[in-house]
Amino acid sequence: MISRLLNRALFIVVPFLGLLLSACSRAEREVRQSTLDPKGPVAQMQYDVFMDTVYLVLVLFAVVGGLLVYAVIRYRARPGDNAAPKLEEGHGNPLVEIGLITASIASLVFIAIPTLNAIWYTDDVPAEAVPTSKLSAWYSRVDANGKENYPKAVEDQVLEIDVIGKQWWFRFEYPQLGLTSDAKHTVPNELYIPRGKAVRINLRSEDVIHSFWLPKIAGKVDLMPGRKNHMWIQADQLGHYYGQCAEFCGDSHAYMLFRCQVVEPEEFAKWVQAQKAEAAPVAAGTKAEKGKALFAAKTCAMCHNISGHYGAGNFGPDLTHVASRKSLAGAWLDNRNPNEQLALELKEKNTEASTPVDPAKLKANLIKWIGSSGTSHTAEGVATKDVKPGNRMHYYKMFNVVSLNESKQQFTAEELDCLAEYLLTLK
Amino acid sequence: MSQVSEPAHAPTSTGIEHKKLIMWLFLASDCMFFGTLISTHLLYRKLYPTGFTDAEGHQRFIQNLFNIELTSFSTFILLMSSFLMALAVSAMHKGQIKSFRRNVLGVIFFGLIFLGCQVFEFTHFFHQGLTIQNSVFGSTFYVLTGTHGTHVAIGILWLILLYFYSFTGKLGGHVGALDVEVAGLYWHFVDIVWIIIFTAVYLVEYLGPSGFWGTGLPLTK
Amino acid sequence: MSHDSHHAPVASKLDLAPERSDLGLIRPDRKTGWADWLTTVDHKKIGIMYGAFAMFFFLVGGLEALAIRTQLARPDNDFVTARMYNQLFTMHGTTMIFLGVMPLSAAFFNFLVPLQIGARDVAFPRLNAFSLWTFVAGAFVLNSSWLFEFGHLAGWFNNFSWYKSLVYTDFAPANGWFSYAPLSGTVGQADAALHAPRFTGVGTDFWIIGIQILGVASLAASFNFICTIINMRAKGMTMMRLPVFTWMTLVTSALIILAFPAITVALIELMFDRQFGANFFNPSAGGQPILWQHLFWIFGHPEVYILVLPAMGIVSEILPTFSGKALFGYPIIVFSGAVIGFLGFAVWSHHMFTTGLGAVPTAAFALLTMAIAVPTGVKIFNWLGTIWGGKIRFTPPMVLALGFIWMFMCGGFSGVMHSSAPADAQQQDSYFVIAHFHYVLLGGVLLGLMAGLYFWFPKIFGRMPNAGVAYLASGLVILGFNLAFGPMHYLGLAGQPRRTHTYHAGNGWETWNFVATIGAFILGIGVFLAFANLVWTAFKGKKCGSDPWDGRTLEWSLSSPVAEYNFAQSPVIAARDAYFEDKHGGRRIAYENDGGEAGVHMPSQSWMPLVAGFGFLMIGLGMPMLSMGVPHIGWLVIAGLTVMFIGIWLWALEGPGGYMLKTPAVGSTPSAPAHQTATTH
Repeated sequence: MISRLLNRALFIVVPFLGLLLSACSRAEREVRQSTLDPKGPVAQMQYDVFMDTVYLVLVLFAVVGGLLVYAVIRYRARPGDNAAPKLEEGHGNPLVEIGLITASIASLVFIAIPTLNAIWYTDDVPAEAVPTSKLSAWYSRVDANGKENYPKAVEDQVLEIDVIGKQWWFRFEYPQLGLTSDAKHTVPNELYIPRGKAVRINLRSEDVIHSFWLPKIAGKVDLMPGRKNHMWIQADQLGHYYGQCAEFCGDSHAYMLFRCQVVEPEEFAKWVQAQKAEAAPVAAGTKAEKGKALFAAKTCAMCHNISGHYGAGNFGPDLTHVASRKSLAGAWLDNRNPNEQLALELKEKNTEASTPVDPAKLKANLIKWIGSSGTSHTAEGVATKDVKPGNRMHYYKMFNVVSLNESKQQFTAEELDCLAEYLLTLK
Repeated sequence: MSQVSEPAHAPTSTGIEHKKLIMWLFLASDCMFFGTLISTHLLYRKLYPTGFTDAEGHQRFIQNLFNIELTSFSTFILLMSSFLMALAVSAMHKGQIKSFRRNVLGVIFFGLIFLGCQVFEFTHFFHQGLTIQNSVFGSTFYVLTGTHGTHVAIGILWLILLYFYSFTGKLGGHVGALDVEVAGLYWHFVDIVWIIIFTAVYLVEYLGPSGFWGTGLPLTK
Repeated sequence: MSHDSHHAPVASKLDLAPERSDLGLIRPDRKTGWADWLTTVDHKKIGIMYGAFAMFFFLVGGLEALAIRTQLARPDNDFVTARMYNQLFTMHGTTMIFLGVMPLSAAFFNFLVPLQIGARDVAFPRLNAFSLWTFVAGAFVLNSSWLFEFGHLAGWFNNFSWYKSLVYTDFAPANGWFSYAPLSGTVGQADAALHAPRFTGVGTDFWIIGIQILGVASLAASFNFICTIINMRAKGMTMMRLPVFTWMTLVTSALIILAFPAITVALIELMFDRQFGANFFNPSAGGQPILWQHLFWIFGHPEVYILVLPAMGIVSEILPTFSGKALFGYPIIVFSGAVIGFLGFAVWSHHMFTTGLGAVPTAAFALLTMAIAVPTGVKIFNWLGTIWGGKIRFTPPMVLALGFIWMFMCGGFSGVMHSSAPADAQQQDSYFVIAHFHYVLLGGVLLGLMAGLYFWFPKIFGRMPNAGVAYLASGLVILGFNLAFGPMHYLGLAGQPRRTHTYHAGNGWETWNFVATIGAFILGIGVFLAFANLVWTAFKGKKCGSDPWDGRTLEWSLSSPVAEYNFAQSPVIAARDAYFEDKHGGRRIAYENDGGEAGVHMPSQSWMPLVAGFGFLMIGLGMPMLSMGVPHIGWLVIAGLTVMFIGIWLWALEGPGGYMLKTPAVGSTPSAPAHQTATTH
C-alpha cells in the first residue's frame, strides 16, 4: 500500500523536483556555455522563442497534468463499489474532440508565429543591422600610415569570418582583412569579434561534419563538407566566450572547443594588425633558438605555419602568435591560472571576465601537449597519456592513414623544454 | 483419411490469398526502395549536370556515352517478356501446363537477353571511362541499374525453378496458379520499374536541344 | 507444393509418425525441448523468444548506459577512453532501438495479434520464425564487434599479419546510431585497391551489415503482420472492431515496410563508398554528406513512431481494462495513430534544423512538426477521457500505464519546444535532446512495454507476477528515470553537448551530471528488478486464472497459457471489446465448428528458417572480417550465401506441411466456452 501511494506521488513530484532543483543551481551567468544567458541579439531571439514554448508548455502541463491527477484521484475504485460494468462503446464525444483539436491548433499558432519570425531573423544579417555594422561604419579603411585595412570593394559589407572545421579544432579566417591561409595568417581556435557589430559567419569543413556553437551569442549551425553554410552573430557585451563543436566528429569530439573574444571595435583593429605581424627573431644562444631548430628537425614545420620563421605548413594550426592565446589544443588546455580565473569569475559574477595568459601554465601545457600527442611514452620511456586521442600531431599523412606499426615522433625532456621556450617567444 | 481443405484454400477476410497480398506488400516496400535510388540519381544529376570526367581527365557528356538504340531495344525486350509472363499466368490458370512452360521459357530467354544487354552496356561504359569511382554519376548509375539488374536476375532464377518444378507434376491446380501469378506480379513490377529508370536515367538526357538538365551543352561533341 | 499432411486427426502431435518432406528430410514435428524451440512456427513461442532476447539486450544496452553515466559522473574523468565512450554510446543507441524496443514490440505483435483477431497463427508461420532467427543473427553480428574490440585491446591478434597491417583499429562501431557520413564514409580519392581514405575501421562495417540484416528481419515480420491482420480476422472482426493494439501493430508494420527501404538504400550506398570507392557521400568527389542525413532521417523519424506506436497500443488496452470503461473515442484514437504514421514521413528534416537547410524548408518542417503534436495530443486527451468517470483499479500494469501517459506527456512537451527551429538551434545535439527522447522512449515506450509485460504475463505463462516487487520496481524505475533525465533538460540548456566523453570542471555541469548518474543506477536496479520478477514468475510464480484482470479482448477468453491451436473453434465476433461484451453484455461470441471431427490444421515445424538465418549470420560475420583483411574469409561469405540460399530453397520445397489436431469440443453455452479448460502443455 505504501509503495503504491509512493508510486503515485512520484509521478507528480519528481519532474517538479528536477525543475525546482535546477532553478536553485548556479546563476546562469556563472555557467560558461549557458543558453539561458544570451549576450547578443541572435541568442536573445532564440531564447525568447524558447521561453514562449516554455510558457505554452507550462500552461498545457498544468491543465492536462492537473486533469490527469484529478481523474486518477477522483475516479479511483473504492472498496464496496460494485456497480455493474459499463458497456457503452467508446465513440468519444464529437464536440469535446473537435474542441480539443481546435484548442491544440490554436495553442500551436501561439508558438508558430514567433518561430517563423525568428527563423528569418536568425537566417542572415538583417537589413536593419547593416548600416551600423558595415565595415566602413566602424573600421577605417586606411590607417594613419596610409596602409589599407581592407579593400574598397568590401566597405559596404559586414565583417565576414570563415570558420573552417577540422578534426579537432577550428580555423578562423577574415578574408576581407587579409587574415587567410593564402596570406599565411590564420587564427586557430580563438576568434575576435567587435562588440555591437553584426558579423557574418561562413561555415566550411575540411573533413567531417562539425558544428559551430557559441551558446551565449548564437545557436549552432553545422559545418558540412561540400556545402557552404552561413549564420550571423553579434555580441553586445565585452568578454571571453566559450564555444564548442556540437556535432559528433570522431574520437576527440569532446576536445573540440573554441573561444571567442568580444572587444571594442578599436581594439579589434589593433588585434588584426597584431595578427598580421610576423614572428620576432629568436635571440641567439638561447634554448628558444635550439627549439626553433628542433621545430624543423622534428618535422613540426611541415604542418604548422610560423610567419617569418617557417612558412611551409598549412595543415595544423598557425602558431605565429601561439603564446598570446588563452588556450591550447583545440581550447581543451587552458593557459590561464585556473584559481585566479575562478576567483575572477566569482568576483565579477560572470564567466566572460578573463585573466591573462599565465606563462608557466602555458609552458606546462605546451610540454604536455607536444610530449604526449600520438605517443604512449617519451624518448626516455616515461609513460605519457595522449591529451587528444586520434589527433594528427606527429602523423605525417592526412585522414589518419597510418598503420599500427608506423613510428611516431618522440621527444626527450630537454627537447620539449627547448621547443616550449621557442613557442613561448611567439607572442 | 478425412477430406479436409488445404490451408491455402482457407478463406481470408479480404478474399485475397495471403501469398498475393504479401507480394503486393513487398512491392510497396520495393517501390520505396527504387524510389530512394532513383531520387539519389536525379538529385545528383541535377546537382552536377555536366556529366563526368574520365580516367584521362576528359570532360565527358552523358548523351555521348549512352547508346539509346541498344537500351531501347532491351527495354522493348523486357516489355515483351512481361507480355509472355501474362500469357504464362493465364495458361496456368487454365491448367495448360505446356503452354505455361513455353511462355515461361520465353520470359526467361527475354530476361537473359535484357541482362546480356546490361552486361554489354556496363562493359562498354567501363571501357569508355565511366567507373563507379571516378564520378558521382558513375556511382549512382551503376548502383541503380545494377540493383535493377539484380532484381531481374532473381526473377529469372525464380522462373527457372518454377519451370523445372512444373515437370515434377506438383505445380498445378489453384495453388500452382497462385505461385505463378505471384512470380508474375514480381516480374511485371520489375518491368515497370525499368520503364521508370529508362525514362528518368536515359530518356531525360535527350530532352530538348540543350539537354534536360540545362547544361547548354551541344548534343554531340 | 505438395507435402504429406497428416490427415488423420490426432489429439497430440506426439501421436504422429515422423513426417517426411519430398526430399526425404524428416520434419521436426515430434521434437520437444530445445529443438522444439529452434524449429517452432508457433507465434506464441516465437513471441516469447523475441521477448527473452529483447530483455537480454535491454540489459546489455543498460550496462552500456551505466558505463556512459559512470564516465560522466565526474568532470575530466577517465573511466573509459574517448574511443570506448564513443563505441558505448553508439552501441547503446543501436542496441536499445534495434535489439531492445523493436524486438520487445515484436514479441507483443507475435503473441497477441493472432489471439486478438481470433486466428490460429500468423499468415506465414515459417516466415515468422525466419524473422526471429534473422533478428538474432543481426543482433549477434552487431555485438560480435565487441568481441573483436576486446580481442584488440587484450592483444589477441598481435601475431596476425592482417592485424599488423590494419590502418584503423576501431572494431566496435563508433559513429553514433545515426552514423553520419563522411565520418562513417570516405573523403578523398580512392586508391588502386578502391579504398578511399576513411575515418573509421571495421566497427562501421559491423554496424552497416548488422543493421541490414536486422532490416531484413523487420521487413519480413512486417509483411507477415499486415497480411495477418488484414486477412486472418475472425468472422465479425471488422477493422473498426480490431483491438487498438492490433491497429497500432498494423500502422507500425506499414511504417516499417515504407521506412526501412530508405535506410537499406542508404546503407548500400555507404557500403559501396567504403568497399568499392563509390562517391555517394564522399565530398571530395562531389558526394553530398547531407544526402545521408536525409535518407537516414526519412527512415529515422518514422522509426521513432515505429518505437512508440506499439506502446501507445498497449496503453490503449490497459486503460479501459482497469477503468472498467470502453476506450474513449476509439475511432479517433485509431485515426490519430494513422495520422501520426502518415505525418511521421513529413517531418524528418526537423532532425536537421542546424544543417543549413535555408529559411523556407526550415519553416515548413517546423510547422509540420508542430502539426504532428495535434494527433499525439488527441491520444492523450482520449486516454484521459477513458479514465474519466471510470472506476480505476490500481494494479502494476495500470500504474505503469499511467506512468507512461505522464512521462510521455513530459517528453511530448519538450518535443514541442524542439519544433520551434530557432529554439532548437540552441537545443540540437545538446543534453536537452537526450532528455527529450529519453522521456519519450524510456519514460514513454519502456514504461508502456513494461506495463504490457505485466498485463499479459499471466496470459503468456498462466502465472501472476508478484505485485509488491512490481510496484517497488516501477517506483525505482520512475524515480531513477526522472533523476537521471530530468536534470539533463537543464544540462542541455546550460550548454553541455551530447556525445562528448568528458567535460571540464568549472563549466557548471558537475552537480547535475553526478545526480544523473545516481539516477541512472537507480533506474538500472529498477529495470533489473522488474525483469527479474518476470523471469522468476515465468518459472515459479503463483498460478492464476485465465482472465485475472476482467479483460476486454479476445485473448482473455482463452486458457492461460494458451493452447497451441489458440481457438478450439473459431470465434464469431459481435462487438468491439468482444470478450467483455460476451461476459457482461448481450452480444455473445459465437463459435463456429470449423474443424469438427477432422480437427484443425496445424503447420509443421521447420529447420529451414533457422538455417536461412544462420546463413545471414555467416555473411554478417564474414563481410567485416573481409574488410579487416583476414585471409580466406571470403569463403565464409560465400558459404553464408550458399547456406541462406539452400535454406530458402528447401523451405520452399518442403511446403508448410502440417497435421490435423483434434480440439476439445466446445460446451453447449457459448458464454462458458469449454476450451478455457483445454489441455495445456
